[in-house]
Amino acid sequence: MSKDKIGKDEWVASYQQRSTAGSEGWRGTLARITTLLPTWAWFALIIAIGVAIPLLTSNNFAIRVAGNIALMAILAMGLNLVVGYAGLLDLGFIAFYGIGGYIYAYLSSDFTGIHLPTLVTLVIVIVIGALFGLLLGSPSLRLFGDYLAIVTLGFGQIFVQLMTSLTRVNIPGQERPVNLTGGPNGIVNLDSFSIFGFTASTVTDYYYVLLVFMVIILLVVYHLNNSRLGRAWRSLREDELAADAMGMPTRRLKLLAFALGAAIAGLSGALFASWQGAVFPGNFDIALLINVYAIIVLGGLGSLPGVILGSIVMVAIPEVLRNVELAGLLFYLLIIVTLIATLKPRWRSAALFVAVIVFGLILKPILTTISPESFTTLEATGSGFVNLVRGWLAIPIDARAVGNLAFLALVLIILLVTRLKDSRVQFIALIPTLYLLSFVWETRLSQEPSVTRLLFVGVLLIVLMIYRPNGLLGQRRVEVV
Amino acid sequence: MDTFLAQLPQQIINGLTLGAVYALIALGYSMVYGVLQLLNFAHGDVYMIGAFIGYGVMVALIPDGAPLIAPVFIIILMLLLAMLGCGLLGVAIEQFAYRPLRNSPRLAPLISALGVSFFLQNAVQLTLTAEFRNYQTELLIPPGAGFDFGDTRLPMTRALVIVVTIILMIVLQYLVRRTKLGKAMRAVAIDREAAAMMGVDVDRVIVATFFIGSALAGAAGVLTGVVFTRVWHFMGFTAGLKGFTAAVVGGIGNIPGAMLGGFLLGLTESFAVGFISPTYRDAIAFIVLVIVLLVRPRGLLGARIPQKV
Amino acid sequence: MACSVSGAWKWSDAMSLLELQKISKHFGGLQVVSNLSFSVEPGEILSLIGPNGAGKSTVLNLITGLYQPDEGNIQFNNQSLLGREIHQITRLGIARTFQNLRLFLNMSVIENVMSAAYSRTHANLFEIILRTPSFRREEERIRQMAEEKLAFFGERLKGYRLDQPAYSLSYANRRRLEIARAMMTEPKLLLLDEPAAGMNPNESLEVTELIGQLRDEAGLTIILIEHDMTVVGGISDRVIALDHGVKIAEGTFDQVATDENVVEAYLGRREPGK
Repeated sequence: MSKDKIGKDEWVASYQQRSTAGSEGWRGTLARITTLLPTWAWFALIIAIGVAIPLLTSNNFAIRVAGNIALMAILAMGLNLVVGYAGLLDLGFIAFYGIGGYIYAYLSSDFTGIHLPTLVTLVIVIVIGALFGLLLGSPSLRLFGDYLAIVTLGFGQIFVQLMTSLTRVNIPGQERPVNLTGGPNGIVNLDSFSIFGFTASTVTDYYYVLLVFMVIILLVVYHLNNSRLGRAWRSLREDELAADAMGMPTRRLKLLAFALGAAIAGLSGALFASWQGAVFPGNFDIALLINVYAIIVLGGLGSLPGVILGSIVMVAIPEVLRNVELAGLLFYLLIIVTLIATLKPRWRSAALFVAVIVFGLILKPILTTISPESFTTLEATGSGFVNLVRGWLAIPIDARAVGNLAFLALVLIILLVTRLKDSRVQFIALIPTLYLLSFVWETRLSQEPSVTRLLFVGVLLIVLMIYRPNGLLGQRRVEVV
Repeated sequence: MDTFLAQLPQQIINGLTLGAVYALIALGYSMVYGVLQLLNFAHGDVYMIGAFIGYGVMVALIPDGAPLIAPVFIIILMLLLAMLGCGLLGVAIEQFAYRPLRNSPRLAPLISALGVSFFLQNAVQLTLTAEFRNYQTELLIPPGAGFDFGDTRLPMTRALVIVVTIILMIVLQYLVRRTKLGKAMRAVAIDREAAAMMGVDVDRVIVATFFIGSALAGAAGVLTGVVFTRVWHFMGFTAGLKGFTAAVVGGIGNIPGAMLGGFLLGLTESFAVGFISPTYRDAIAFIVLVIVLLVRPRGLLGARIPQKV
Repeated sequence: MACSVSGAWKWSDAMSLLELQKISKHFGGLQVVSNLSFSVEPGEILSLIGPNGAGKSTVLNLITGLYQPDEGNIQFNNQSLLGREIHQITRLGIARTFQNLRLFLNMSVIENVMSAAYSRTHANLFEIILRTPSFRREEERIRQMAEEKLAFFGERLKGYRLDQPAYSLSYANRRRLEIARAMMTEPKLLLLDEPAAGMNPNESLEVTELIGQLRDEAGLTIILIEHDMTVVGGISDRVIALDHGVKIAEGTFDQVATDENVVEAYLGRREPGK
C-alpha cells in the first residue's frame, strides 16, 4: 500500500479497490470478480450455465442436485429479503414454504378433488403466502425485534404440528371427522407442473422449471434492490431511527419485506410440492431452516451472488460428500488447507504434519505392545489414502465407545488449543489434537454421515459468525455498536 | 362441570409441575437476555444435556437395579452434578461462541447460538444415538409414594419437582437481591457501560449469569427426567421453545417475570391438555404467547427500554 | 431553487411555522422539559442554547416525534404533531440532523442522500419489479436531485466521492452529508443538532455561512442547537436559552448572551463579595 499519496485524489478514489483487495488475496479476488462483469452479463452467464447443465450430463442425480440448488436459491432469496434487507430474524420462515406446498396440494390433487391449472395455483399461493406473512408479521413487528424470533419460531413449530395432527377434525355438518392435512403421511399424487401446454414429467423438465423461476426471482429481487425500496431497506438495516427520521415508514417497510419473503417462500413451496409430487410435514423441519440460514449467512446477508454461492455450497457439497471416501478425502484436505492458511510461517504447517505422522507412527506400536488384545483394525475402504490413514491409527477394539469419548475429548482440546497464546505450546498441543481428529473421524464421524453433516453445519455457523460475519463474499462493514 | 371441578386440583398439580420446569428454563433465558440482550438458543440444549448428565449419574449409581447409596443422595448428586456440568457448559458456550461476537452486528450471536444448538443436539446424537433413554425413577422413588387429598393425588415425583424449584428460586432471589453479585448483575442489565465505569467486572458478571442460568436449566433437565422419564437428544428443542415463551410472556430480562411466565404457561398447558385435547399442547403455548404479547408487548412484567438518541 | 420531485407545498399565512405550547416531558423521576413554549416564524433562524442537560436535544426529539410530550401541544403549519409517527412528521416537512451523526455508514454517499427521497417518491411495487419507464424516470430525478443537494457543499462531495461508502468520509464531510440527506426530504423546517461540534474555527465559519445559505437559497426555516457561540452569534435571528428544561431567556443573541440568568446557568452564580 503506497503511503505517500494519502489524501491525494487518486489515492482516495482507489479506496474502493483497496478495500475490496484486502490483505488476503483470495478474498479480494472473489470480491473483485463480482465487479468484473456488468450485471446483465452475470445474468446471462447464470442462464447459460444453468441451461447447459442438463446438456452436459445425463446423470439424473446430478440434475436433481442442480434442481435442488435452484430451489434452495429461491428460498434463500426470500429469506434474504427478510433477514438480509430488513434485518428481521424470522425463524418460522419454513412455515411459509410449507403453506405454499400444502396449498398446492389442496388445489392440485385428488385429496380435495380440486385440480386447478398450475398457473392459477401459483398465483393463489403467492397471494396467500403474502397474506400469511402480513398476518404473522403485523402483530409481531410491534414487538422488540428479538421477540419476533420467538414468535416466528413458535409459528413454524405449530405449523408442522398442525399439519401432522389435524387428521380427525370434527366439522359441524359432517358425520365423520375430516382429515384436513393428510397427517404424517402427507398428501400424495399431486398434479405435475403444467403451464401453457407444457407438462413437466422428468427430472430435467423440473430442473428447467426451477431454473426459470430462479432467474425470475433473481431479477425481481435485483430490481427491488435497486429502487427506493431497496435503499429504504438498507437504510433501515443500517440505522432504523435515522431511516424513520428521513421519512421512511420503517414498520411498513419491515412488513413488506416480511410479506414478500413469505410470498417467495410460498412460491418455492408450491414448486417443491409439484416436483416431489407430494407434501409431508417432515419436509418442513428445523433442519431445513438451519440450512437456509446457513446459505444466506455463508453468502453474506443481503448479497445476491452470495445466495447463489451459498446454495451451491450448502446443497452440492453434502451431496458430493455422500460418498464416504470422498468425504474423508475432502475432510483431510480441509484440515490441511485450514492449517496452512492459519499457521504462519508456512513451514510450520509442514513441520506439524510431519510431527503428527511421526507421533502416530510412534504411538501405535507403543500401545499395541502394551496391550495387543485391545486393538484391532478398521475395515478397508475403496480409497488407498483412507486405508493408509486407518492403518496408521491405533484402533481400539471397542472403536465406537472409545471414539465417542475421543469426540468429547476432541471438542475440549480444540477449544483449549484456540485459547493458547504461546504459539510454540500451541504447536505442540496441535499434534495430539490432529491425531485425535483423525481418530474421531475414522471411528465415528465417517460412520454417521447424516449426523456428521449436521454437526458441521452447526460448527460452520459458529465459525462463520466469528471470523466472517459478512459471509464468504462479504465486504467489510462498519457497525455502530 | 363436576368433572371439571373434580379434575381441577389434579390439573393444577400437573400445571405447577410443568410450570416449575418451564420457569427454571425461562430464568436462564431471561437472565442472559437481561445482561447481554442475547437470545440464547442453545439454552434448551443445555437443559437436554443436564437431563443426560442426571441419567448418567443414575446409571452409574444404580447398576443392575440396586442403588448403591440411599436414593435421596442419588437424586441430590444428580441435581448437583447436572447443575455443575451445565453451568460449566454454559460458561464454555459464552466464552467460545458469544464473547467473540460482543461487538458484532446483532444478528451474529443469534446465528452463532443457532449453530451451537445444532451442534449440541447432533453431538449427543452422535455419541449417544437417537434412542430414548428413560430415567428409572421407580428405583429412586417408589411409584406409589405421594400425598392424597381426597380424589387428588400429589405424586412424590411431582412434589419433588415443585419443592426443588421453589428452593432454587428462593436461593436465586436471595442471590439477586441480597448479594453483591446480584447487584452487579442488575446493574449490568440496566446499563453495561455505566456498570463498567462503576467498577463492575462486566465479564465476570456475564460468566456468572451464564453459569447460574445454565445450572438452573440443568436442574430442570434432571427434574424432567425424574417426572417424565424420557430423555433424548431432541428434547431441548420444544422445552427450550416453551421456556423461551415463558420468559417472553413474563417479560424478558425480568426474573420474577420468568417465574411467573413459567408457571402460567405450565398451568395453561396442563389445562389445555386435561380439558381440551392433548394434541394441541404445543399450539396452546404459542397462542398464549401471541395473546399476551398482543395485549402487553413487553410481557407481563416487562419494562420499557428507553432509547437514547 | 432546487427542482422538486413531488408536488407543491401548502402554506398557511400569518401563522408561526412551528409553535410549542406548554410542553412538558419527564423520564422516570426526572423532569426534562418543563412548561416550555415558543414559536418559530417562517424564514428565521432560531438557536437553542443552554448548558449540557438543559433539554435541548429532548426538545428536538419531541418536535420530530421520537418522544411524545406528557403535556402541551406542538403545532406545525397549523397541524398538531402529537401522536404522529416520526416518518409522518418528516413528511409534513420537518427534517433533522443528529448530535452524534447517524449516517448510513455502509451505503455510498449518494445513496445516503437518495434514500431520503423515499417519502417524496411514488414508485410502487409493480413499477419497481417491472422497471417501467415511469420508474426509471423517477430514479433519474432522484439521482439528479441528490447530486444537487450535495452540490450545495461545493467541491467536497462531488465526483468520485459520490460512490464512496459513507464511512470513508472525514468527520466534517459526514456532517455535511447528514445535512444534505436531511434536505433531500424537502423540509420546510430543518433542525440541526450541534452541526459545528468538533469543528475547528475555519470549519465553524463555513457552517455559519452554510446555515445562512440554507435559509436564503433553499428557503428553509432553521432551529439550531449549538454550543459554539461564534456560530450562534453569527447567524441567529433569535436565541432561546434553556436550563433544566425551562426557558430562561429569549431574544436576540446580544440580549440573551448578557442576560444574567443565562450567565448564571453557564458560569454559576457570582459569590457575593467577590
